[in-house]
Amino acid sequence: MERIKEVLNNFDMEYVEDYKPTWVKAKLKNKDDITKVVKALKEVGIRSCSTVSPTDFPEENRMEINYFLEDIVNKKNVWLKVDIDRDLDKCEIDSITPILESADYHELESYSTFGVKFKGHPNLRYFLISRDYYGKFPFRKDFDWEEHEKHLIENVNAIAEEFFEEYEENEKTVGHEDSRTVLHWGPTHPASGPIRLKVYTNGENIEKVEPDIGYVWRALEKLSERKDFIGTIVAVERVCFMDNTNPMICYAQAVEEIAGKEITPFAKYMRVILGELGRTVSHLISMGGFFGTMGLQTFLMWCLDVREYFLDALEDYSGARIATACIEPGGVRYPLNDYKAWFEEINKAIEKWEKTKPDIEDIFLKNPLMTTRAKNKGIFSHEDVIDNYLQGPIARASGVKTDVRIDEPYAAYGELKMDYVTCENGDARDRLEIIYKEINQSIDLIKQAMVKIEEGIEKGEMDPKKDHLVKMPRRMPAGEAVSRVEWARGEMLMHLVTTEKSTNPYRLKIKAPSVNHTRMLEKLIPGHSLSDIPLLYGSMHICQGDLDR
Amino acid sequence: MLKVLDFFNYARSKSPWIVHFCSGCCSLEMLAAMGPRYDWERYGYMMTPTPRQADIIFITGLVSKKILPALLRTYEQMPEPRYVVAIGACAYDGGPYNESPSVIKNMTEILPADVFVAGCPPKPEAIVAGLEELKEKIKRGEPSASSQGGLWKQMKF
Repeated sequence: MERIKEVLNNFDMEYVEDYKPTWVKAKLKNKDDITKVVKALKEVGIRSCSTVSPTDFPEENRMEINYFLEDIVNKKNVWLKVDIDRDLDKCEIDSITPILESADYHELESYSTFGVKFKGHPNLRYFLISRDYYGKFPFRKDFDWEEHEKHLIENVNAIAEEFFEEYEENEKTVGHEDSRTVLHWGPTHPASGPIRLKVYTNGENIEKVEPDIGYVWRALEKLSERKDFIGTIVAVERVCFMDNTNPMICYAQAVEEIAGKEITPFAKYMRVILGELGRTVSHLISMGGFFGTMGLQTFLMWCLDVREYFLDALEDYSGARIATACIEPGGVRYPLNDYKAWFEEINKAIEKWEKTKPDIEDIFLKNPLMTTRAKNKGIFSHEDVIDNYLQGPIARASGVKTDVRIDEPYAAYGELKMDYVTCENGDARDRLEIIYKEINQSIDLIKQAMVKIEEGIEKGEMDPKKDHLVKMPRRMPAGEAVSRVEWARGEMLMHLVTTEKSTNPYRLKIKAPSVNHTRMLEKLIPGHSLSDIPLLYGSMHICQGDLDR
Repeated sequence: MLKVLDFFNYARSKSPWIVHFCSGCCSLEMLAAMGPRYDWERYGYMMTPTPRQADIIFITGLVSKKILPALLRTYEQMPEPRYVVAIGACAYDGGPYNESPSVIKNMTEILPADVFVAGCPPKPEAIVAGLEELKEKIKRGEPSASSQGGLWKQMKF
């Protein structure tokens, strides 16, 4: 930590200060220094860029760019800020992608939504936003989208026009001399979901892959600026419905940090239980989906069967199966009037899983066909993980010990026994196995948390009918917070900015793991044959909901 | 006397195939409806990967501007008679994304739906119940709503 501060102090800084135990926060005075700072930080081990998040301040005529950099191995984080001019023609800064390649897609996103030009970016283009927003930069505070809305049909036609142009262009570049073609994988492929991969093939062999994203772009970050602090939960939980509880935990923590409130131990343990239930539900689909992409639906059906029992537990608590909205700033939304009955419901789900487990192991995880197909396919080395900032199960499958629950404990994870779950090879098969191991870990955590709650209630330290929520102020003070959680698919980071006496977020940046995982497809798939696309794609456990936001 | 065309409609209503297309989060509840607990294949519904074999297309919740051309093109590829089922609040007026600049709010004006299933997301039981209603419509041989009109005819895709 001291070394990082030393490095930062060598430059012209407004301030360098400690933030959280593993964080250093600093503000750079001169934007031209950014590449030098990042280079110097890279030498002391900060090798990954988590995300780039601009914040727009039209009154002060400045755009503040926040870089979140991370050293995955030694668990150190740097939050680097720098101010640049807001005017469109002067709004530019040197790109850090040539130094830290994991910043690539995040810089493209900032360019498309805020109009920050990154000089020296290898391929600066519009990304994520649809054709009708090109050159309009919709996340800027002065963007008038009501005016934009009026021209719906023209906008949609412009998007369609883009596709036609693209087809023509492909036709020209590829030619008819040899066996080269451009294939569009998705968005209607049964395994793809709403994403399109432009696959440049030569016969069976894939030469290049270009992901085209934005098919479920809902502009959640902009949407949350129009809602109040409670209403934002609705936007945040819809980042992805597969695991819908953990994003809410992340958001709630950020708000609590700004308000300066501490939640009760009971709420902390409830968050652990709900978060792990969400993770299990998501992992069950990921695991079944992996086999689904290989053409075997049986396992998917088994997983869906088990999943229903976990959804029952969520429904019992919140009244909804997947859109639970059960965690809000200040704790959890509902009291537990009959905690024994709810625990009974969870135990039923756990029992179902334990009963299915031996069969899953024998029939599917040791399946010789699956092993021949997926073993040694798409291997990620240690270096790949760090340079491209792969996270969560994907990183752990390659043996990298990273887990926000342990590195920077939140909720009640610090008080529970848990260890990193890892695999060794980092191939497609390991990325399936890690999911299975993680479900077992989640269930272990749920059991521990249930015991703790029961003990607390018996001792009289917790009151499940009153302790669930701490009163939060209606208006927030001005502030900024960064909060991280371990989501089902990796690290989720939220950067929340509020203004004085505000009732709604000024800016909420949601960083989700699938962005980097999708970027990795560009390197992962070329060299394989066409029939491997669904398998490799399935092994990355990508969800378009959090990819586009 | 049973007319031949009536018989066709009767037969068609017994096993409608649904094209595999998802544009939003409600598709997760469709997955659950496919799953073992709700199992819509009991009623004869089945997913098919190609629109050319399908009778029904789902508007699964939100439709963003970028996916609309793909959705319309998928719809266009289906053989007549083709039916549209809209599920989720987003398909009606944008639902929770009503204030979002990139989501289409008047989806059922663009592609009129024969059945609308409310909810955010609707439960699998509700989806199956909606489909059962559509079955009755197919059996009666009524023309589908989307063939009668809709803004989709003015759009490029």
